[in-house]
Amino acid sequence: MTTNRQLLIVDDNPADIGLAREAMKQCAPGCQISSVEDGVEALAFLERRDKYKTAPRPDLVILDLNLPKRGGLAVLAAMRAGPALRSIPVIIFSTSKLSKDVVRSYELGANCYVCKPGNLTEFFGAMKSIEQFWFGSATLPPRGE
Amino acid sequence: MSSTGTKLGPSVAAEKTLLRALLVEDNALDATLVVRALNKDGFDVVADVVQDEAAFRRALHKNLPEVVLADYNLPTWKGMEALKVLRAERLDIPMILVSGALGDVTAVECIKQGATDYVLKDGLARLPEVVRRALREKTEHILRRRVEEDLARKVDELARSNADLEQFAYVASHDLQEPLRMVTAYTQLLSERYAGKLDENADKYLGYASEGAQRMQILIQDLLAFSRVGRNGSNYSSVDCNEVMAEVLKTLAPTIQESGAVVTPSELPRVWSDRTQVTQILQNLIGNAIKFRDKEAPKVSISAEKAGAYWQFSVRDNGIGIAPEYAENIFVVFQRLHARTEYPGNGIGLAICKKIVERNGGKIWFESQPGSGATFKFTLPLHDSDGGNGPQ
Amino acid sequence: MNANEVDILLADDSQDDIDLTLHALRAENLANHVYIVRDGEEALDFLFCTGPHAGRSFDHPPKLVLLDLKMPKVDGMQVLRQLKGDARTKTIPVVLMTSSREERDMAQGYDLGVNSYVQKPVDFDEFRKAVKLLGLYWMVTNQPPAGTGKSHSAGQSK
Repeated sequence: MTTNRQLLIVDDNPADIGLAREAMKQCAPGCQISSVEDGVEALAFLERRDKYKTAPRPDLVILDLNLPKRGGLAVLAAMRAGPALRSIPVIIFSTSKLSKDVVRSYELGANCYVCKPGNLTEFFGAMKSIEQFWFGSATLPPRGE
Repeated sequence: MSSTGTKLGPSVAAEKTLLRALLVEDNALDATLVVRALNKDGFDVVADVVQDEAAFRRALHKNLPEVVLADYNLPTWKGMEALKVLRAERLDIPMILVSGALGDVTAVECIKQGATDYVLKDGLARLPEVVRRALREKTEHILRRRVEEDLARKVDELARSNADLEQFAYVASHDLQEPLRMVTAYTQLLSERYAGKLDENADKYLGYASEGAQRMQILIQDLLAFSRVGRNGSNYSSVDCNEVMAEVLKTLAPTIQESGAVVTPSELPRVWSDRTQVTQILQNLIGNAIKFRDKEAPKVSISAEKAGAYWQFSVRDNGIGIAPEYAENIFVVFQRLHARTEYPGNGIGLAICKKIVERNGGKIWFESQPGSGATFKFTLPLHDSDGGNGPQ
Repeated sequence: MNANEVDILLADDSQDDIDLTLHALRAENLANHVYIVRDGEEALDFLFCTGPHAGRSFDHPPKLVLLDLKMPKVDGMQVLRQLKGDARTKTIPVVLMTSSREERDMAQGYDLGVNSYVQKPVDFDEFRKAVKLLGLYWMVTNQPPAGTGKSHSAGQSK
């Protein structure tokens, strides 16, 4: 079920990206993972501009909030603004537990919000839960290139 | 009658107090008598005499007087009007009415309106003492105000400094968490992936690194908890300590069971405080009582009694006890009395207790001898509507 | 159950599916605050605090709405459209849980802003597993917009 699944991780901390890749390697070995480290790169990737002309369209985006250049919420708003990217599911993945961040994320169209856990076991657990639901039970929107 | 002031010069004398006075008086003779009465009794008067508002104002600005002596009833102006001018100019100068017949009612009324005192023209002998008293009171008033302002400023600085410290503790702990998360996660990952695959020193080093990182995570969380005691504001309400006790026993149930502890709370009172904070105090103290146990099963008793304007709580145990020389030390953040291998913990629990108790206006201390248990005591102020709840 | 303490609003007209869903949720200890409506009109009344649910408050939305597509009176897509079109309700997580296999429905659902779309498995066991994963994900892993995530005893790391 996870072969050919495309995942885009947007996070400014390469260490966190590394952890997410490790976690996904364990529970979804067939999943293809791309990663970018700031909001401008994220949109270039999603819109397949500049060096991302042949980038795959992600089935799921895991998005951190605190990003340089353009923040997570700005990326989210841009994605929801046009028909091309509007249906791609976005999971906000952030250390922030602040209610204003959570509510604003939902308001701007995030599908869900997961707090980045503090320790390794819970981090892996969260990633596994994400993988099991989104690549398991849920029906992802058609890729419709 | 001139509309400009008349100056009556100082008389030559030794050991006299120079007094700059402003007289509001239209009768030259009366003015002279007033000055003479003062000069006769220790003063060396330099006086301006005026009869109307314009002249009064000019005189005020030319030569600021220490005292105003005003006739109550002038043909063109009223003495009490002078008071209004003083107020308008925000001058805190005592004004004494020097007047002919002045009914008691009027006199009292004038004083209510702000005149410092009044003296009858046929009782001028009193005047010097009245002036002296007025000047004395004014000096005291100034001093007191300065002390109050000083105190207010110090309180302000202290509050700001505390706020800064708490803010710092919060920010530091909060921002420290991310890089720490990286270290903890990856040392753990390394341990899991490479356990047994490198040489045995590597395993040991990884273990130390992991342990250090994890301890640091707990330290930072503790520090955050400590800083939070001030920051989150408190939710004060009437707190039933028996209910709090029940909750604490539930939370500590696993520890109690595992150690075979016997915890005996007596009837506890209601206090006016933040419920979460009271819970924290009791939980920390009872948790400690169980943790620092001796060879036998821990016995902890909790009671409270009225002590003056406070409820005094006691948490008594039969554990290892504490040497009295640690009386101050033990409440300091991160201060521990034992090696980490002997007893776990960061040494923040008591610091939090102290912070909370003192925020509530109380005190915390202990009584103990090594080997014969310890009794931790803390006070919380009585609540106004404290009825007969709790032991008398 | 207090109408302001509902965790999950389950909107479905099939009694079989309702029973199966509840059964699966119960196994994960997630069924304590599930409210059931059987048509789109009542779903809207509940979520917009009108009609028989006028006593409800917008401040206490459910943490999750499980919505079937084919329902009498008002269908699921209409409910979804109204929910996501109103500022008071647009942040409530909605999962379309439907037997429809129409790709068009799925595309439309995502277009309207559904949080996720789950096709009800035909197989009994698969259905239960899907509900379990769904429940655990949306009630435990996910952080809903209103209030903090529910503290929950069922283990998360499996």
